[in-house]
Amino acid sequence: MAVVAQSPSENAGAKVSLRNSTFLRVSRYVVVRLLTLFATVVVGVYLTIMIANMGGYVDQIMRSQVRDTITQKIALNPAMQKLDPAVRKQLIEETITQEEERLGLNVPLAVRNARYLTNALTLNLGRAINMTSDAGSKQVRLIILERLPATLLLMGSSQLFLFFASIFLALGLSRRYGNFWDKLVVALSPTSAVPAWFYGIFLILIFAAIFQILPFGGMVDSPPPSGTLAYSLNLLKHLILPASSLVISSFFLSIYNYRTFFLIYSSEDYVEMAKAKGLPARDIESRYILRPTLPNIITNFALLIITLWTGATITETVFLWPGLGRTLYRAIGLYDIPIIVGSTIIYAYLLAMTVFLLDFVYALVDPRVKIGEN
Amino acid sequence: MNPTSATQLLHVEDLVLHFRTGNGTVQAVDGVDFDLDANRAVVILGESGCGKSSLAKAMLRLLPRNVESYSGKVFLHGADVMTLDEEEFRHNVRWAAMSLVPQAAMNALNPVLRVGEQVAEPAMVHLGVSKAEAFLQARRMFQHVGVPEDFLSRYPFELSGGMRQRVALAMALVTSPALIVLDEPTSALDLLTQANIMNVLKRIKHELGTSFILITHDIATSSELADEVAIMYAGQIVEVGEARDFFSEPLHPYSQMLMASVPRLRSDSDPMFITGQPPSLVNLPEGCRFAARCPFRMEKCGGEPPVVRRGNRKVKCWLHV
Repeated sequence: MAVVAQSPSENAGAKVSLRNSTFLRVSRYVVVRLLTLFATVVVGVYLTIMIANMGGYVDQIMRSQVRDTITQKIALNPAMQKLDPAVRKQLIEETITQEEERLGLNVPLAVRNARYLTNALTLNLGRAINMTSDAGSKQVRLIILERLPATLLLMGSSQLFLFFASIFLALGLSRRYGNFWDKLVVALSPTSAVPAWFYGIFLILIFAAIFQILPFGGMVDSPPPSGTLAYSLNLLKHLILPASSLVISSFFLSIYNYRTFFLIYSSEDYVEMAKAKGLPARDIESRYILRPTLPNIITNFALLIITLWTGATITETVFLWPGLGRTLYRAIGLYDIPIIVGSTIIYAYLLAMTVFLLDFVYALVDPRVKIGEN
Repeated sequence: MNPTSATQLLHVEDLVLHFRTGNGTVQAVDGVDFDLDANRAVVILGESGCGKSSLAKAMLRLLPRNVESYSGKVFLHGADVMTLDEEEFRHNVRWAAMSLVPQAAMNALNPVLRVGEQVAEPAMVHLGVSKAEAFLQARRMFQHVGVPEDFLSRYPFELSGGMRQRVALAMALVTSPALIVLDEPTSALDLLTQANIMNVLKRIKHELGTSFILITHDIATSSELADEVAIMYAGQIVEVGEARDFFSEPLHPYSQMLMASVPRLRSDSDPMFITGQPPSLVNLPEGCRFAARCPFRMEKCGGEPPVVRRGNRKVKCWLHV
């Protein structure tokens, strides 16, 4: 009797200690993982800062720019021309010092880099040096936020379509290895060697210049049509060509990639076994090919979602699409460090968060994976 | 044997399965004939590379992409299943009438699905029963093969090799097919587990009345289960007959040498070896395929040997003409 009474409580004790050990294992893993990911972000952003100001060379460029502008401004000002040259020289030097102080150039580079870094890490994105938003603000946050919707619309629509269409088609092709459609896709996959903007130019030529049924570029007509429906339709009309060129340039290669990936997983013994069991093709595809490859597909999807953030620089430029890619491109050309750093830090945080969450998703979808177990 | 007999379950006639490879045509299964009655077990014995596994594939029409020819007749319950189209075959033959226990149960289970689901699945597809009923049936089969019931909710990686093989067996049994093809079901297991699995098979045959085609190279382990023995050599069956007769007096020279190569417990004689190698299935010799290794080789052996009947045994050899 005593044994019977004892054993459930012992059992419960064992369960509690098991739960405790799981909790410990997961929390240790979370702490270590977050720390390493944070260190990665810090290093990544610091490198971006160093590269963005070219190890200090940008300072020199800016210094001589300031000197040039101020010297010329004062030299060409008629009111200043009557001044004594020595006084004028002093005035020039004083103005230059003021301007350099305003731009923070008087502070040593290392200190400024550290300040950039801490500001970036706390998402205090600061003010742009040269660029402004269309609304006229110099706030980096506002400049980025203003461009973000356009990029998300263009990249989101094209990349999500590409992702789901290629998985769906690839799954079908992998089950029909070597048939006409399979061979066609393989034969057409080199079309992806050509970049999207190149297709863009041809699409513009055909649909905007020759047939004149779609606009050359931009996001909406100027002035924009009033009314939500008319506005959306107008937006859609402008979206077709840039989105198509992004889709076309990756379409066949993407299908080819997934088809080969599924083909490798279709030769697993358990897929053959599922076929032997007489399961319908649909079940084999979903439960025996797609399901075991879900971790890989989720990884691809998560990384795809965060790369939407970076935009498509040249395609946006060809189509005059007011997106982030173009802004970032211009910022690099203008050495506008705050914008470059601001955009990078957000991407770095998104990437770190995604990598962190993916580990938990793996544990959810693959029973063989246990968080924090080696 | 009379092909129209009422107890006859399976009648295979001139089954051919050839593959196309870079080196030429592999004649893996080249004109195989055999019969099997209900609740009987035939053991198909042969060396590695003689086409045994291809025979299993040919039976279930699990063809790789490089098939060159696939023909012959397979009568199951008196109906030729070779004439069925892909969808009919999937629906009426695979697991409905004939199921398979694969060589490596290790890899034959989907790593991310619970084994219970994988075992119950064919019952839902082929018997059209509800999920609960299919799981009940899976539970029953787990009892038959000796797997604890709570293993239904485990994943394959949580099972040992022997348990996985039993799960694969339960999976083959779940739709109560008349015939199960076992492709080297014990070759990846240790001796004790092999013996356990063979005992399970014997019990199932007795309790459920299932017929087995047991494909193996292991004469000793399979002899307990065998009602009939078929010896396969270079894509063909060279001898087939009652197990009792076969083990006491093998007819074909290859069978005799094969039996002599098995070590015996109560005998001092050393096991013998068969010299030479089986011919490549790409480049088969004219006439008897065993002639090059045969100690009784004659001039006639250059011609295609006839199938000679000896009572209810058959042997493909000039010696017995």
